[in-house]
Amino acid sequence: MQFIENLRLAITSILANKMRSILTMLGIIIGISAVIMITTIGTSIQKTLVNTFNSMGSMNYFEVYTSWNYSEEDFGLTYTDNSEDRLSVEMLNQLVEQYPEYFYLNLSDDVGSFPLNNWKKQQISVNVSSITNFENLDDFPFVRGRGINQNDGNGLKQVMNVSTLFVEQYFPAGTNPIGQTVSTEIGDFVIVGVFELPDYYVKQMYNEGQQDIDKVTPVYIPYDTARHLLEKEQEPLYYADVYYYPEQDIDMLENLLNNYFQEIYKDKPYVQIEVFNMQSELGMINTVINVITIAISVIAAISLIVGGVGVMNIMLVSITERTKEIGVRKALGARNSAILAQFVVEAILLCLIGGIIGILLGVAGGVGIGFIAKFMVNQFYPEYAGMFKITIQPSIPAMLIAVIFSILTGVFFGYYPANKAAKLNPIDALRYD
Amino acid sequence: MNKPVIQMQNVIKRYYIGQPNELQILNGISLEIHEHEFVSIVGQSGSGKSTLMNIIGALDRPTEGTYHLNGVDVSTLDDDELSYIRNQEIGFVFQTFNLISRTNALKNVEMPMMYAGLSRKKRLERAKELLALVDMSERATHQPNELSGGQKQRVAIARAMANHPSILLADEPTGALDSKTGHKIMDLFHKLHQEEGTTIILITHSSELAEETERMITISDGNIIADTGGENNAVH
Repeated sequence: MQFIENLRLAITSILANKMRSILTMLGIIIGISAVIMITTIGTSIQKTLVNTFNSMGSMNYFEVYTSWNYSEEDFGLTYTDNSEDRLSVEMLNQLVEQYPEYFYLNLSDDVGSFPLNNWKKQQISVNVSSITNFENLDDFPFVRGRGINQNDGNGLKQVMNVSTLFVEQYFPAGTNPIGQTVSTEIGDFVIVGVFELPDYYVKQMYNEGQQDIDKVTPVYIPYDTARHLLEKEQEPLYYADVYYYPEQDIDMLENLLNNYFQEIYKDKPYVQIEVFNMQSELGMINTVINVITIAISVIAAISLIVGGVGVMNIMLVSITERTKEIGVRKALGARNSAILAQFVVEAILLCLIGGIIGILLGVAGGVGIGFIAKFMVNQFYPEYAGMFKITIQPSIPAMLIAVIFSILTGVFFGYYPANKAAKLNPIDALRYD
Repeated sequence: MNKPVIQMQNVIKRYYIGQPNELQILNGISLEIHEHEFVSIVGQSGSGKSTLMNIIGALDRPTEGTYHLNGVDVSTLDDDELSYIRNQEIGFVFQTFNLISRTNALKNVEMPMMYAGLSRKKRLERAKELLALVDMSERATHQPNELSGGQKQRVAIARAMANHPSILLADEPTGALDSKTGHKIMDLFHKLHQEEGTTIILITHSSELAEETERMITISDGNIIADTGGENNAVH
């Protein structure tokens, strides 16, 4: 009851001096809006990065690649690229045998682009890739048949996965492609599955207005089959992706990999296997952005102190102006605590309104900058526009903290003046003119 | 004889105690005021009547002596207890009205009841009743700056009556009004005294106004020098 009365009094008092109240709030508004704008930009950058990486496919793999550490003057003199030093399929298979609970492989390679003749004897092109396992890839949804798997490779089967676009190019309309044979330069392959090309792939690979018949489509064959047909079974690798099962300690796995390869390469100081993981890289980037956001926010929050002092100043003025009113209230039976509450509530309300205006302005500013960034990317780098998933996201925790901070500013800077009012001697206050 | 509301025994008030400019304002006032009395306290400025009023009104404590208000020894109470006494036992009427600005008449009258913790409904009911008593019902929603001096004082009197106080303590209530309006306010006091049985203490420097009351206590240099018209005179 008393609280509602105090709120009503505070609103009356703030409205009675609108201009003064707004000027008083200005410090709080600027401080809070700066913090909110910075955090909005920070969280938007993080969200954009995560969404962009996620849209590139799953990230639960380590990229491992061969790296030479000879110095420039040694180049070509003391070392020649000895293919035995490079990463081999055997090393990777042994790794998976050693840690089957952590890792699995899904090796892939570019085989090459080949021209093909379709049923109308028109020439089309395909881009052949080899892959161990083409099942369960989220971004290439299967509409028919099955994906290539390890068994196909083990049996050196000549099977193929093609896209719906390829089916349209290659076969007469209405043909069931499953079981049909496609003849290429490296052999004949039976189609066992048809997948849909994801939107981002289409946007990235093909120009607008390009004829469907001219589009080069990706097709997949088993990894081991490809190596066998190309007689490259013993050829070492430059790099490979080592996948890990979800929900594992990435740092631990990274150490495991590093140790595994260091053991193999311990006698070869000039060559090593590097391990790279996008997830841990992204985690580091996020940490850096967080630190920067917090640091700038703290600097911006200093203006809250200035704002708070402004509030304190105005509250002192207000109390001096209303000394007589305080005296009358005390004569009518107001306890010290009632007067204290009245003025603290007024200070809190002043800060809270300032804080809320600040949050609204900050979100508007942050979102505005986000839209400008999005517009600029679309305008000047349209080729990347499809790849960057620009996400604008105001930070909800930052807003909650801002509200709490506004209230605390009100309590902290309102308490001293309010206490001064509460302690006024009623006789002196009544006599005050 | 009615029961005593105010009992003062040898009340002394000093300021700047222990300092070279120590000042004694009241030199041992003994006084008894009973229920339903209409008393005036008269004195020149500097006579000590304001100090006496502050003590009667529980705004201040006596330095020495005892002051019982409705049997409660006020001189021993702390600030919050004094606030409670002022809220429940005293109705202040000031020379300059002292209505809270930007707050309408009704809300002004509700204020002492708000500090007493009454519910909104009860407050509103009582405030309307009081405004009717002082003939201000039609101005209930007016802000103080929309009221004349006399009207403000009527609202102030209604406010003073809010919590059924034991005494209505009026400090020069007509001092800021023209004589015609002043008379109307005095008529209102008489009406409250006669019809409601309110105990009224009127503090004034005007002996003309004091003549209108039943009992007149005259103060000079911190002493009661005369006490006339009462049903029983002060204990000297």
